[in-house]
Amino acid sequence: MADTTNLNPVLLIAVPLGLAFLIPLLGLISRKSAKWLPVIGFLFNLVLALLILPHSLKQPIIVEIAGFAPPFGINLVAGPVGMLLATLIALTGLLVAIYALRYIKEGAQQKYHILFLLLLTGATGVVLTGDIFNLFVFFEILCISSYTLVAYLGNRAGLESAVKYLIQGSIGSSLLLIGIGLLYGQFGTLNMADLAKQIGDYTEASVFIPMVLMITGLGIEAAIFPLNAWLPDAHSSAPSSISAILSGIAIEVGLYAVIRVLFTIFAVSNFFMFFTVLGVLTILIGEMSAFAQKNIKRMLAYSSIGQIGLIVFAFAISSQLGVAGGLFQIISHTLGKALLFLCAGYMIFRTGSMDISSFEGIGKKMPLTALFFTIGAFSIVGLPPFTGFASKFVIIRAALAKGELLFQILIGIVLIGTIIEGAYFFKLIQTMYFKGVHKADKREESPVTALIPMFVLAGLIIFIGMFPNFIAKILNPAASELLDRAKYIRSVLG
Amino acid sequence: MSFLHNYIYYIGAFGLIFIGLFIMAVKRNYIKIVIGLSILEAGVNLFLISVGYIANGTAPIFSRTGLNANNMVDPVPQALVLTAIVIGLAVMGLALSLAIGLYRHYGTLNLHEIKEQRW
Repeated sequence: MADTTNLNPVLLIAVPLGLAFLIPLLGLISRKSAKWLPVIGFLFNLVLALLILPHSLKQPIIVEIAGFAPPFGINLVAGPVGMLLATLIALTGLLVAIYALRYIKEGAQQKYHILFLLLLTGATGVVLTGDIFNLFVFFEILCISSYTLVAYLGNRAGLESAVKYLIQGSIGSSLLLIGIGLLYGQFGTLNMADLAKQIGDYTEASVFIPMVLMITGLGIEAAIFPLNAWLPDAHSSAPSSISAILSGIAIEVGLYAVIRVLFTIFAVSNFFMFFTVLGVLTILIGEMSAFAQKNIKRMLAYSSIGQIGLIVFAFAISSQLGVAGGLFQIISHTLGKALLFLCAGYMIFRTGSMDISSFEGIGKKMPLTALFFTIGAFSIVGLPPFTGFASKFVIIRAALAKGELLFQILIGIVLIGTIIEGAYFFKLIQTMYFKGVHKADKREESPVTALIPMFVLAGLIIFIGMFPNFIAKILNPAASELLDRAKYIRSVLG
Repeated sequence: MSFLHNYIYYIGAFGLIFIGLFIMAVKRNYIKIVIGLSILEAGVNLFLISVGYIANGTAPIFSRTGLNANNMVDPVPQALVLTAIVIGLAVMGLALSLAIGLYRHYGTLNLHEIKEQRW
């Protein structure tokens, strides 16, 4: 324990937050330096998170802010789930920050970098906090910066999408806050572990109503089926680097909050059928809408809805294997979708169009980018050597292990969703490589600052896909943390 | 009457919340929707503050001897409301600045006419 004292998880939140506010000051000296601060901040976060991760796997690290013991003060819980997601956020943040060095050229660049840092600070805060109101605050930091970043380009589509996102998102936040208020009124505490200890039966109306309000509020950000109307617009209108973060981080963080509230605070165990069906519906709606799209970014955005459905389905199985599969799917979706959006960013930039038909012959024009895009697409679809295969395989195994006929039927529907997914991704890849090859003009590859993040993401997708046991060492303790509520309460309250 | 007397803050708070939600669901003009959002937030804040309210209570500071903790209002909801007001201010500022941009591009604030993004 002695060596963990100087590795404080608070720094994961404090450093990006501090750097975000340093940017305007630094801008007085040098205007060009702003873009390097996110790189520095997330490199620091990644190293720190990787150092803390092994410790948190043994024993969750509880940080008491200002020295108040947990039920009274705000605390951070750096357990396996929190640290796993914080590492993922820092990694994606670092890669997208490198990508943005060259990609973000127009508009108010300083503000972009400030908001980018704040967005990921909010995301890290949500996954690490152990206090329900603190979760709300970090959630709002995440949401407000993402509303702004969707409108960053200031064009027609961006503004319209940002308005829609803001209206729906702020209703969601209000519902979440009402739920928190109702819980505080009854139990007099905001600490998640303390709430979990006091809440006995969630079917009582006085507990059930705040639960529904909180799940609905968080579900809007997580884009679970009836609440996902904002997602395709917002994800397709934002700059591609931000789409990668929104698709790869923001919705997963929303989903994490839903799962944390359901599993840890309310200990819901028997109406998961509802969520299973909701997950399957989300998959079908997302994949079928994606199939019909002509615009590449909208297609990727709908594909994210489908993937979120799959993650919800995995968590709703609520067995050790199912939850581990859900977390694994979060990892493979973050890596895969971030890679796809980053590649799509420069493909759109070079061809000047988001229309799928304009990508004919891009396999010749931008061979490396097209190759990385293909790796990402294959991983999302779930072809063998990539992570997507391993994570989908775990989910299917978990569903079959349930041994109920209903789960077997549902997993069949999930696989149909995967086939639709394959159909539109393969169609796109065919367009990229085999159509319009005759008009192959000179090569115009993406710049190095874009190729490095793509290479790292593609490398990780292949590496984790080939050696899934490497990540299973983290996934298993993480799944038990979510399922074993008593242990969570003990580790926080002592 | 005692029911009204005891729960008047909650009735008022949820009244505001439902009025706000109704406006946001029904109105087409973006500015009216933002007003609805503002009413909704006011309702939520009123609700939070009334959770910790005690009639004739004092501030939770032991400024002189003889003060009883039972007569003090709960300070936590007040801290929550302060935070929620600040967050609400940020959202409101952003929403209104988006309204300016929206009007510049579309020449209207009627959200039923601004429908370029489709499913």
